[in-house]
Amino acid sequence: MTKPRLEMTRRYELVAETLRANIAAGRLPPGFVLLEGPIATVMKTSRAPVHAALKILEEENLVHRFEGRGYLIGKAGSGVQAIRRDLAKQGLQISNAIDTALQNRGLWEQVYDEVETAVAACLIFGDFRIVESELGDYYGVSRTVVRDVLARLHERGLITKTQSSHWVAGALTAQSVRERFQLRQLLEPEAIRLAAESADYDRIGRALSRERGGENASWIELDRLLMEHCIARGPNGQLIDLIRQNRLPLAAAARALTKLGLPKDEVAAGEYLVLFDLLTRRAIDAAATFWRNHLTVLAEKNLARLKIVAVISDPPPRPPYLSPRDPQE
Amino acid sequence: MPTKPSKSGVAAPAVLRRRTLRVLGTFISLLEAVRVRASADLGFDIEFEVLDFPSCQRKAALHPEAFDVYDQTFHNLGIVWHWGVLQPIDTDLLKSWPSVGPLTKLGGVDKYANRGAGDAPRLKLYVQPDHSLGPQPTRFISMLPTVHNFDSFGYDLRAFNGEGRPRESWAMLFDPRAKGKLALVDEPAIGLFDAALAAEASGVLSFDNIANMTAAELVALFRFLRGKCDEGFLLPCWTTGDEAASLFRRGAAAVQSMWSPAYNQLGEAAPFIREAVPEEGYRAWHGGLSIARHVEGAQLRMAYEYMDWWLSGWAGAAMARQGYYISAAEPVRDYLSPAEWSYWYEGQEAGEDLRGVDGEAVVAPRGKIRSGGAYLERARRIAVWNTVMDEFNYATRLWSRFVADIRARAR
Repeated sequence: MTKPRLEMTRRYELVAETLRANIAAGRLPPGFVLLEGPIATVMKTSRAPVHAALKILEEENLVHRFEGRGYLIGKAGSGVQAIRRDLAKQGLQISNAIDTALQNRGLWEQVYDEVETAVAACLIFGDFRIVESELGDYYGVSRTVVRDVLARLHERGLITKTQSSHWVAGALTAQSVRERFQLRQLLEPEAIRLAAESADYDRIGRALSRERGGENASWIELDRLLMEHCIARGPNGQLIDLIRQNRLPLAAAARALTKLGLPKDEVAAGEYLVLFDLLTRRAIDAAATFWRNHLTVLAEKNLARLKIVAVISDPPPRPPYLSPRDPQE
Repeated sequence: MPTKPSKSGVAAPAVLRRRTLRVLGTFISLLEAVRVRASADLGFDIEFEVLDFPSCQRKAALHPEAFDVYDQTFHNLGIVWHWGVLQPIDTDLLKSWPSVGPLTKLGGVDKYANRGAGDAPRLKLYVQPDHSLGPQPTRFISMLPTVHNFDSFGYDLRAFNGEGRPRESWAMLFDPRAKGKLALVDEPAIGLFDAALAAEASGVLSFDNIANMTAAELVALFRFLRGKCDEGFLLPCWTTGDEAASLFRRGAAAVQSMWSPAYNQLGEAAPFIREAVPEEGYRAWHGGLSIARHVEGAQLRMAYEYMDWWLSGWAGAAMARQGYYISAAEPVRDYLSPAEWSYWYEGQEAGEDLRGVDGEAVVAPRGKIRSGGAYLERARRIAVWNTVMDEFNYATRLWSRFVADIRARAR
């Protein structure tokens, strides 16, 4: 078995590239309604990368949101009529290289995203055990596939193995939140400096003008933009992997909390805009210093957010392969 | 809409008087008798929404438009304050502010008093320049301190050789004589501390800071509790004071977490139940009133009037008859009989049969002395405040699984 690699996180880029090419070739005409589900089916992938890909195309002004579900092809305000047709019958071209890249991911990668989301979302609700047989049954996959998925979760630091050989997801405690933010303070300002030459300042600038134009994205989304357009463009792959891995449970917890109905934190979002502003002015040192200080504030906010989860008694429905467990076992 | 006549006969602005003040809170202070009296005294309608602690905080955080005044406790104030759903209270507009005592303003009733570990109200009282909460006095406060008490546990003398012990300790919760008859209150910011104080007093565990346990200390505490559960010590947890009283009345519990009003409902078991004065000290809590962010104009004036009313005496007297204290004690004297005042606040023998909030049930028969003595003596002996610690979420998860487990075993 080959060891799963982190490059897989870029799968959404494959999806984005395919859509981009088909839009350019006119196989997907202006006004065509793009929905996550059908795209995922055609590209034989899960919905998460499709979701991310559509966001990128939106940033590129290739698609835009409208009153209905999904995205319309074309610039916002172009006034095109919505065309609702079966995507499978559009004769979409998926280049061989991309098709191979998508298909080579193997069965385990197809279920991985969902499992990762479910595991990450449960961390704020305590300690859980992952029951391997249940996981296999749930997705109808073999033990080999299950092991590949678990190996990947383990690699990303989301689960550990106990002495009794059980796979467990440890709770996201205040202590681990504090430690992860400490790591962020050590790594991210430096990563921003390293990416000084290679960051995509155009994209960051566009995000900034969208926000100033009243788009009002959540800080979680802005955090993702910082990662993708700045930090992840840096030259040190090891460092980027480390940062991604460290952020994973924090981002998952933040998403889970927002889903539970907690209000948007406007102050935190505002801080990202200050950072984006410094970056677009190429004030890299100031940006890195600002970011280190801001992470202190963000850590406190996250700890406070974590406390409020305690008043939410019922965790959202979780899949049967996640079983509550005592940490002292 | 008809205009309500003003009680005082003074011409009041009609618009203001027709409006309703909505108060969100818990059963601790939101008694129907209080609502009726406040409405009559203030001349506007008042609605109470009474929820349990977690539901109340959840509602406050997620639906801040649904209430005007938030009646809660200092220990979980940080949670809702962080969400910006409350507004700073201007002490210059509060007539009652000067009468609030030193426990919350300074951190202790006098210089000899134990400050207590954890979320002491003083630490959350003042709105700091950066809008966070802290002990540095400013003109603005987050919550007007009101009802409070110093809790311990109760025990049945019949299970402990028939007499009160000269030295009482939280360790008594795990006394072998009470095996199978121990009940804790099901509230992670409260019952968990009863258990932790007991574990520490028994010498089994020691916490670096009992009010801010680490994840590892929590795991150790629950390992200890599960062990006790396996040995058969624990009854299912109780959630209301009525349930606690019933456990003692039926003889089901021999030692348990207790809240003051529950001592007033013990019926024939009353002579045998003692409210302990633990040598380690009390677990204290402090309630108060906050104002929702959206409240303004006439509604805001009503909120301030309502807060001042709480400290003007009548409400404090009603709370005293449940065994609770109020932050502004002096005005309460006018609404308690001399016998009531000397029993509830001064720790003296009841000079006559004293009645509860309903004015009927005798809650302290003539000759009884309040456990722990006078207000000052009790207030000097705070071991820990009810606290929402950093690991509160983790503690809550461990706690609720533990509570569900005892319940399942009992079936």
